Amino acid sequence: MDDLTKLTIAEAGKKMAAGELTAVDLARACLANIDARNQELNAYLEVFDDVVAQAEAADARRAAGESHPLLGIPLAIKDNILIEGRVSSASSKMLEHYIATYDATVIKKLKEAGAVFVGRTNMDEFALGGSTENSAFGPTKNPHDVARVAGGTSGGSAAAVSAGLCLGALGTDTGGSVRNPASFCGVAGLKGTYGRVSRSGVIAAVSSFDQVGPLAKTAEDTQIIFDTISGRDELDSTSIDPGLYAPHKPTKKVGVPRKLMEEGLDEDVRAAFETKLEALRAKGYEVVDIELPSLSFALATYYIINFAEVSANLARFDGVRYGLSAKGDSLLNDYAKSRAEGFGPETRRRIMLGTYVLSSGYYDAYYGRAGAAREALRQEFVDAFKNVDAVATPTMPTPAFAVGEKSDPLSMYLADIFTVTANLTGNPALSVPMGTVERGGKQLPVGLQLIAAHGDEATLFALGKEIQ
Amino acid sequence: MISLEDIQKLALLARLKLSPQEEESLQKDISNILDYVGQVSAVPMPEIKQDAGLWHNIMREDIPREGGVMLEKGPALIEAFPKSENGYNVVRKIIQKDE
Repeated sequence: MDDLTKLTIAEAGKKMAAGELTAVDLARACLANIDARNQELNAYLEVFDDVVAQAEAADARRAAGESHPLLGIPLAIKDNILIEGRVSSASSKMLEHYIATYDATVIKKLKEAGAVFVGRTNMDEFALGGSTENSAFGPTKNPHDVARVAGGTSGGSAAAVSAGLCLGALGTDTGGSVRNPASFCGVAGLKGTYGRVSRSGVIAAVSSFDQVGPLAKTAEDTQIIFDTISGRDELDSTSIDPGLYAPHKPTKKVGVPRKLMEEGLDEDVRAAFETKLEALRAKGYEVVDIELPSLSFALATYYIINFAEVSANLARFDGVRYGLSAKGDSLLNDYAKSRAEGFGPETRRRIMLGTYVLSSGYYDAYYGRAGAAREALRQEFVDAFKNVDAVATPTMPTPAFAVGEKSDPLSMYLADIFTVTANLTGNPALSVPMGTVERGGKQLPVGLQLIAAHGDEATLFALGKEIQ
Repeated sequence: MISLEDIQKLALLARLKLSPQEEESLQKDISNILDYVGQVSAVPMPEIKQDAGLWHNIMREDIPREGGVMLEKGPALIEAFPKSENGYNVVRKIIQKDE
């Protein structure tokens, strides 16, 4: 094979175990692609200067008898996941020069496995957006058409996997931030059940939604990364043991919420989706319509909770202990100026909205109501999985849009219609490639999303392998 | 539509210094977005009983960490201060004489 970066993680692992390939070979192949394409794509904000040295260390560990499916595998890390001694900026001016003082739990686990960290990838500032255009360091471009966005908020990670600038990556998913760019860039992306992966050392956006998730070429590869990074962690009290939820009873049925797909879905995306449903039927699955009445206000519910938690989580950035610090004419104005200069426009907008929905006069009408709607939706999903193994939708209603096309913030929010639900309910969800559609003479990938019962990632991996 | 005074009040509460132009554009954006998310208050909803869920009241044993684990991080933490002096974080003096 000419380009080693076309290998999946599973294939590369086998070749390394068989002595046909070294971690250094893989690292150099990624670095060559980075030299050729990163400037144009802006996938990495920083490529680490010790990638080859890390790979040599991995090869030495293998020579000493160690083995792990990720040993020597080059991975890209989203810029909101802390690696001790390295900058972690969340793509914000606020943290542009912030150096992490400890490893996130997921990083600790990947280091133990022997993965090679290639660099830190671009994202929407503080994971707020859907296209990586909200980065303080410029948008990430889609490898399939550089006039288009890579999706977001983990756009750098998805573009890096798609263009062979790494073999796999970590992203974080708050409302689809792993699955959305996976769909736009033609790779697989997983958000596990809420709590399956520790959030310790991950810069918080919306704590009740955020999950770290893998991006890679195949469902199988996402499983390899997920198996390595998941597990209960005493540093994150919301992290859970896999056995918390009762095992799902298989039904061989896949549910499709047809009502949610009536409007706003591109016709060729719908056609690609139907083709994959046909493939599932051919494999013996029954495809059934399901009604989830609360889905109609899932987006509104999602955004209220998003705004509220973002405004609370980002209150910690005050220019006093770390991060950007600007001087005003009083203590109050020190804060106000640091935050105005450190945060970008979308971040400021969400902080303002969060402050509004949490203010005493409006709390019940917005945040209180959203909490009840979220619980109603969660219960509908628990009931739904008594009858189906998975809920399938397109991941995104359209292929990647052009850079600058969605200038109105609300239109950007509405593109998240299929992905936010799994964050509201805590269910695991996987996006896998389902083909391409043509726009302006270019073939653009689109993804299919599968949502499974709480704790049932196994069904997602199994179905994902069937579909891909 | 939300008033300009409300936008200014929110900015004060949120500790954000906004330019007059941004106040105006936020007035428009925030009104649009609130109109959209406001649909949750219009939807009839059955009484929902919210319990604590399967996973709640998670504690861990109060065991002292190995000595010096955090102290080792001291220099890196001090390095992150916007301004430091002799290992201390320099902050604005906030207690002033009445004038």
